[in-house]
Amino acid sequence: MSAQVHRENVVLQSLGQIGSCGLFLLRVLAAVPRSLRHVRETVRQLWFVGAMSLTIIMTCGLFVGMVLGLQLYHVLAIFGGTSASGSVVALSIYRELGPVVTALLFAGRAGTSITAEIGLMRATDQIAAMEMMAVDPIAYVVAPRFLAGLIAMPLLCCVFCAMGIFGGHLVGVSWLGVDNGTFWSNMTSTVDVYQDIINGVIWKSVGFGAVCSLIAVFQGYTTAPTSEGVAYATTRTVVASSIAILALDFILTAFLM
Amino acid sequence: MTDPVLAKPDERTLVRIRGLTTVLSGKTVFDALDLDIPRGKVTAIMGPSGTGKTTLLKHITGQMRGDAGQVWVDGFNVPRLSREQLFTLRERIGYLFQNSALLTDFDVFENVAFPLRQHTSLPEVLIRNIVLTKLQAVGLRGAASLLPTELSGGMARRVALARAIVFDPMLILYDEPFVGLDPIALHQVLKLIRTLNETLGITSVLVAHELEAIKQVADHVYLIANGKVVAQGNPKTIADDGSPWTRQFFGGESDGPVPFQYPADDYAQALGFKEGIA
Amino acid sequence: MSQRKSYAVGTGMFIVLGFAALVYLATQTSSIANSHQGASYTVDAQFANIGALKERAPVKVAGVRIGQVQSISLEPGKDVADVSLSIDKKYAQIPADSVATIYTSGLLGDQYVGVQFGNAKNYLADGGHIGLTKSTQPLEEMLGKFLGGGSAADAIGGTYNVKASFTNVGALAVGAPVKMAGVAIGSVTDVKADPVKLDATVTMSIDKKYNQIPDDSAAAIFTSGLIGSQYVAIQPGGSPNSLKDGDQLVLTQSAVQLEDLIGKFLVSGSSSGSNANNGGNNNPAGNGSSNPNAGKH
Repeated sequence: MSAQVHRENVVLQSLGQIGSCGLFLLRVLAAVPRSLRHVRETVRQLWFVGAMSLTIIMTCGLFVGMVLGLQLYHVLAIFGGTSASGSVVALSIYRELGPVVTALLFAGRAGTSITAEIGLMRATDQIAAMEMMAVDPIAYVVAPRFLAGLIAMPLLCCVFCAMGIFGGHLVGVSWLGVDNGTFWSNMTSTVDVYQDIINGVIWKSVGFGAVCSLIAVFQGYTTAPTSEGVAYATTRTVVASSIAILALDFILTAFLM
Repeated sequence: MTDPVLAKPDERTLVRIRGLTTVLSGKTVFDALDLDIPRGKVTAIMGPSGTGKTTLLKHITGQMRGDAGQVWVDGFNVPRLSREQLFTLRERIGYLFQNSALLTDFDVFENVAFPLRQHTSLPEVLIRNIVLTKLQAVGLRGAASLLPTELSGGMARRVALARAIVFDPMLILYDEPFVGLDPIALHQVLKLIRTLNETLGITSVLVAHELEAIKQVADHVYLIANGKVVAQGNPKTIADDGSPWTRQFFGGESDGPVPFQYPADDYAQALGFKEGIA
Repeated sequence: MSQRKSYAVGTGMFIVLGFAALVYLATQTSSIANSHQGASYTVDAQFANIGALKERAPVKVAGVRIGQVQSISLEPGKDVADVSLSIDKKYAQIPADSVATIYTSGLLGDQYVGVQFGNAKNYLADGGHIGLTKSTQPLEEMLGKFLGGGSAADAIGGTYNVKASFTNVGALAVGAPVKMAGVAIGSVTDVKADPVKLDATVTMSIDKKYNQIPDDSAAAIFTSGLIGSQYVAIQPGGSPNSLKDGDQLVLTQSAVQLEDLIGKFLVSGSSSGSNANNGGNNNPAGNGSSNPNAGKH
């Protein structure tokens, strides 16, 4: 009985969270025009959220591409189709792994730091201080981070994909001896710009960027102003972002493919 | 009946609170509170912990709104102001947070320059001059390039004070400015509050517990308890006005109008010495 | 201030890097790399079976790309696929009597249109038509030819919900396409075993557009490629009457078990499917013995 009540509470709480997250999105979007006055702040956040994530994104992209090259080579070798490894590596990266892995890494690297930063600003009264200095914290703190995430994600995803292709090429061509020309010609004949790159890479990662940064700023902004509250909010950012990314991935794949 | 938004500013009173009633999660914080803060004076607000002194400051700045009553600040009825009007009013109010609330992203100079950069498009030279003047006033011009994490508590509070006065406000609210300061830093802050008040004529409101410090700096003291003003007067003489509240608060007695025991059921019954229904 | 400038520079570099990566992906790894098409002209060709040919598939002469497939359509009432080819203006001098053939790059690769030049003095122009075509050949047909035409389709009849019985459906599943001349015209809605006749009854629903299929058409279960999924191919008969709803396709060609075929065919027991395939294409008589690897076993 009490377990059921508890479960209902969890469901209601989750719904409440989603609802207030949606309302928060409206507030952020309403503040975006005002935040354009703080372009500098957006640029600064783009540096922290985007440029600082490049190392992890590039390293992971390289390894994902290399693993794919290796795995797919051995599967394709069974059918004597190793020449197709270029196209299979490219399609797997563009359609799924690129956007999803980039978004998961982004949630772990940038999302948590956004949440922790805003949460600490809340806990140390910096948000209240801005209110008192007649500066809207949504426009000055939240919107620039949201925009930075929105802009950074597709760019990071492109870098990830390029590194992945490079890694796949490294393993497939340089190591396992797939013909260089075949690798590229197979890839170029199967990859479609609109279907795979615009829909697969760009739109998906824009969607992921919006969701990840919204969750990060929301958790940070609404955190309980204590050290436990910040820690808890950071954890929730990763959990909620991961679930949201994979669920949204399914929806976007169904609509875009 | 709707409350008016604007009134003619009073010549002598900057902040006028009338019938302020606030209930927070079932607890009555203010019960028809009336309070006046005179222009150009230093007013101290004291009271036992949990009586809503900080909450009162938040009502003055519009960060919180009461359930009833009026809060007039320089002719504006704060609870009725729109967000834009409130922001305009806040540009003329300085607020010193208990923990300074410096922006950790910026160094001391940028922290003090922050309000200027946000609300004006002054040339860089002018901003530099204003900021250095304010930093000089709090004695920290040499610390301009330090980060907030490199400052001691007292220094951080002085930087926050420099930031609060960068627009030459008409009113500064100090939230517990003496907490956690060593005697030297405490006297530095005391001196600053006094100097700012005397040289710039800034009206100051400070929330504090330290009677000795308040005696040195304040012109008027309000003692708040149970959501009402229970005593007021000159800080040097208020302790002797004979009311039980002042006797307990300033005399430091553990029991009195503010009970030692948090309200509870009958002690003997809780321990089981008394039969259920006596 | 200098701190701020370094953010701006770093962020600028990040944005440039991101866009450079995007441009690289879009231009170097996608079909845009192939379709640096300037002016082009369009010709069309009819194929009896286009197999797995897709739009934007390459058109090649002597293995070199000269253009791409622009569109594939099936005119209602006809059983040939219209394929229009967009060819680069550079390659304007293609003889009018050239032959268009659908090839597969390798055993598992994608299909493309190959053009072999004829001898005519006049060339194909925009809107022109390639009269001579060779369609793709489903693997089963090629293998069937080896076996002396033993599994060639006979005549049958059927309609919109059309039924057909097969002795073996192989891996045919509900939802598998029903194709005519290689173009999907419907899908399989039900596959059931008949407890009395001990064979499989397949129900297909066919698009109403295609209501002029002769009622003596044949149904065959083919596999797209060597490891592709199976589908039902309708091979039109010559009857003046069209298929109606509820009709039964009387004669069918069941799924061919690749292992059976190859086992029967290659007496030596060498099991290279690709060699059997190549042999079938070019030289049915000199089949298995031409496999150099087989001798080494």
